[in-house]
Amino acid sequence: MSEALLDVEDLRVAFAVGGREVRAVDGVSFTVSPGDTLAIIGESGSGKTVSCRALMGLLPTGTHISGSARLRGSELIGLSDSELRRYRGSDMAMVFQDPARSLNPTIRVGEQIAEAIRTHHKVSKREANTQAVELLRLVRIPAAERRFHEYPHQLSGGMRQRVMIAIALACRPKLLFADEATTALDVTTQAQIMELLLELQQELDMALIMISHDLGLAASYADEVIVMYAGKIVEQAPAAQLFGVGGAVRMRYTRALLDAIPHLERPAHTQLPIVSGRPPDPTALPPGCSFAPRCRYAEDDCRDKMPALAEHAPGHRWACWHPCEEGGAA
Amino acid sequence: MALVQQIQLQGGPGARDRARRAAGSPALRMVGRRLLAAIPVLFGVTLLTYAVFSALPNDTAQAVLGLRASPAQVAALNHTLGLDQPFWVRYGRWLGGVLHGNLGTSLEGQSVNSELATHLPVTLELLAYALVVSLLLAIIVAALAARRPNGIIDRLSLVVSMLGLSAAPYAFAFLLIIVFAVKLGWFPVVSGSLGSSPASWFKALTLPAASIGFPLFAVYTRILRADMVEQMQREDYIVTAKAKGVAPWRVLIKHALRNSMFTLITVVGLNLGTLVGAVAIIETVFSVPGIGNDLLTGISNHDVPLVEGIVLVFALITVLGNLLADLLYAVLDPRIRYGSSTS
Amino acid sequence: MAAPLPEPTTALASTLATAAPPPLPSLITSRRLRSQRLGRALRLWIPAGFLILMLALCFLWPLVYQLPSPTNGNIIQASEPPFSPGHWLGTDQVGVDIFSQIVYGGQEAFEVSVAATLIGIAIGATIGVVAGYFGGWVDAVLSRILDILLAFPALVLALAISEGLGPSKLHLIWALSFFSIPFVGRIARGSTIVLRSAPFMTAARLAGTRGWRIIVRHVLPSIIPAIVTVSLLGVGIVIIVEGALDFLGYGIPPPNPSWGSMIAQGQTVLTAQPEYVLIPSLFLLVTVVALNMLGDALRERWGVQ
Repeated sequence: MSEALLDVEDLRVAFAVGGREVRAVDGVSFTVSPGDTLAIIGESGSGKTVSCRALMGLLPTGTHISGSARLRGSELIGLSDSELRRYRGSDMAMVFQDPARSLNPTIRVGEQIAEAIRTHHKVSKREANTQAVELLRLVRIPAAERRFHEYPHQLSGGMRQRVMIAIALACRPKLLFADEATTALDVTTQAQIMELLLELQQELDMALIMISHDLGLAASYADEVIVMYAGKIVEQAPAAQLFGVGGAVRMRYTRALLDAIPHLERPAHTQLPIVSGRPPDPTALPPGCSFAPRCRYAEDDCRDKMPALAEHAPGHRWACWHPCEEGGAA
Repeated sequence: MALVQQIQLQGGPGARDRARRAAGSPALRMVGRRLLAAIPVLFGVTLLTYAVFSALPNDTAQAVLGLRASPAQVAALNHTLGLDQPFWVRYGRWLGGVLHGNLGTSLEGQSVNSELATHLPVTLELLAYALVVSLLLAIIVAALAARRPNGIIDRLSLVVSMLGLSAAPYAFAFLLIIVFAVKLGWFPVVSGSLGSSPASWFKALTLPAASIGFPLFAVYTRILRADMVEQMQREDYIVTAKAKGVAPWRVLIKHALRNSMFTLITVVGLNLGTLVGAVAIIETVFSVPGIGNDLLTGISNHDVPLVEGIVLVFALITVLGNLLADLLYAVLDPRIRYGSSTS
Repeated sequence: MAAPLPEPTTALASTLATAAPPPLPSLITSRRLRSQRLGRALRLWIPAGFLILMLALCFLWPLVYQLPSPTNGNIIQASEPPFSPGHWLGTDQVGVDIFSQIVYGGQEAFEVSVAATLIGIAIGATIGVVAGYFGGWVDAVLSRILDILLAFPALVLALAISEGLGPSKLHLIWALSFFSIPFVGRIARGSTIVLRSAPFMTAARLAGTRGWRIIVRHVLPSIIPAIVTVSLLGVGIVIIVEGALDFLGYGIPPPNPSWGSMIAQGQTVLTAQPEYVLIPSLFLLVTVVALNMLGDALRERWGVQ
């Protein structure tokens, strides 16, 4: 078994909003090996983005982060910002959701890529620029030399996202976070970008952590899937075990998410089984299972006691008192 | 942006066009349009000034000749000076002269052109001194403040800029005089002339420039700091920069400050108009031989050509200031310079 | 919110799952929020309170307490220092009581600047709202007028009027209102333009409400916060400009007291007795600071841009 690239244990992130404590991430643990593709799925507010930003050190000061996160053996939690900066952008990098807003509109794209290089390596400007052009080619942008001198607003959405990827890959990170990287793009471009990411993953032997609300994305591209709800992991399994033939989703929430995806095979004019209600207010989490208020199968013990995440089947963890039967719904 | 006091109060001829800019109109066309828009403003201002002076009881000739002049002599002088013509005739004549580059003759008998030629450079130097120093200081202080919002430097800068915004330039001038000229003796109390050496130039103009510059510094600092803090907290490209591992200072300067310059340029341009009054008073207090001083003398003498000439110059400065701000904005903002997507 | 300790009721339950570990103890307090709220309240009420005090001092105090004359002084009592008996802030070179000069000068400062600003609001808001609401050539023309007023050196106007017609309070008010008009006009116009595309405006129009009704009942109430905050700042600016005019001798005619003329008079003995300049300057400064702070606090409170 290869040594873990990223080993996260009991990560907790809390901050104060309006005088009240928000526990955005409440005890998350997972492991990523080199070359893996992990998908973290959840609704907004589930804590998926916050946990990854906590690992990167991109949360505002005053946020309380505890737990352990070891990147190739080096502990990340508790480091000062200047210490964490050495890893940020070089060993681990992030691609963000909205490339239109994530690129500085007044700096040429080539320079923005070169900045990522020069931050971590002492090279001349010319050398950095050359490498930046190479990176533009790596992300399959045509006419790379010309594009180098252009400004973000002169590029299309898909190309901007490629530039973001180029920036993230500038120092050949071993771990790449893709935070809803394709959400803001149209479907065709989405597929192109995902394909690009996977190719680059292979080429650079990189682990990829995809953050998304899209189960379909996870099913298509991920090796391992984590489902988060209200700051906790509620289900975790290899993608094949969850979505593949003979696979089964056990936690009710994940089941509900899957059921809510419209299928062509569904009988016409039937109501889509959406999940009613909204994610809980993070400052007032219910006792017991956080999903209980919205779960059709919730019973009294669901409302009283929080189910712990435990490995009930080999490689498959879930946190539910009354999980789905193996092999199907209900 | 949290506080845009003066920028709001001085909407200026450029504000409206800012919205149109987003549509990506070519810079040159915009400049041309702005120039065209400026002309009626210049017209209006000078016309209004002329009208005001004409509406007021005119005893210029009387003042020139003295109290014992006979009505006939006054009438004759009035006729010579053309003061008995209806005001639009006089304005027309003046305008004609202006278009030929001749600003007329002041009541003292000198050509307004030559008056301006001697005194305008002084005022411009004073303005430049005040502007440059207050801009530089504002950038430094705002950057330090934005680096740690609500930190010590930030709070201090907010206090100081509140004082700067609220202080009357003339009152502040006296404070400066008391401290620096009287008690410390570093600068002269009056700056009769600028002297010939750089040292004497500095000595003469520093206190006046500080009096004018302090409110400017206050406005610039406030706006710049607010803009930078907002960017650091809200803009996604700042997160990207941090994700690259860029050090916080570099993020502030290279990304946030750079973008804030646009706002700053706009504010500087818009604020030029407010300087007229301040310049006039400060020049009087310190006896600086500039056109502000002349303006006040001219008004008390009812010297219409002189006053008109100076008003025209000030209006030109205001309008050109706005124009320059727009131009710089167009030149520096790549979204305007390079138009929309080429892919 | 604490999770109950694990109580395995049945063997089966305990093999399936145990209760989650106890939650993180609260490490972030609401102390900071409380101090933020306190700060915000202080920033509003301290300047407001100060202004109320100043207004009370200038307008109510003379009614209650007989102050020495602000215009005539006893030359025998000239140049008395502050805290002298009968003269709380001393007297100036000709024996006029400084404190009463401040009080009556303050009356005049407030009267003139508030009146000028109110006129400026009335005219400026009208122009601005009409320009913003109707758009088109109406807007073009009115905006041009606002531009001209903005570029026009109001100081020149005020001085000219004062010089030609003779200095008087009324002339001063008219001249200074010219100054305020473009400021308010711009804000009003800007806000109206933003409002014009708001859904509730379209709804009102569709309901058949006539133009003027819409303006009065919908537009005006929405722009009031912006106008009020701008006006507070405007009053501060007008006070300073009015002081400048007094300082130059073109404002309130002497011997009526005004802060500006006090500064001008104090100029002559600046080196020997700087307090003649410093005292009115201090009152001027603190009053304008209070106005600015109040404007900022209200802007914060009402969420105006």
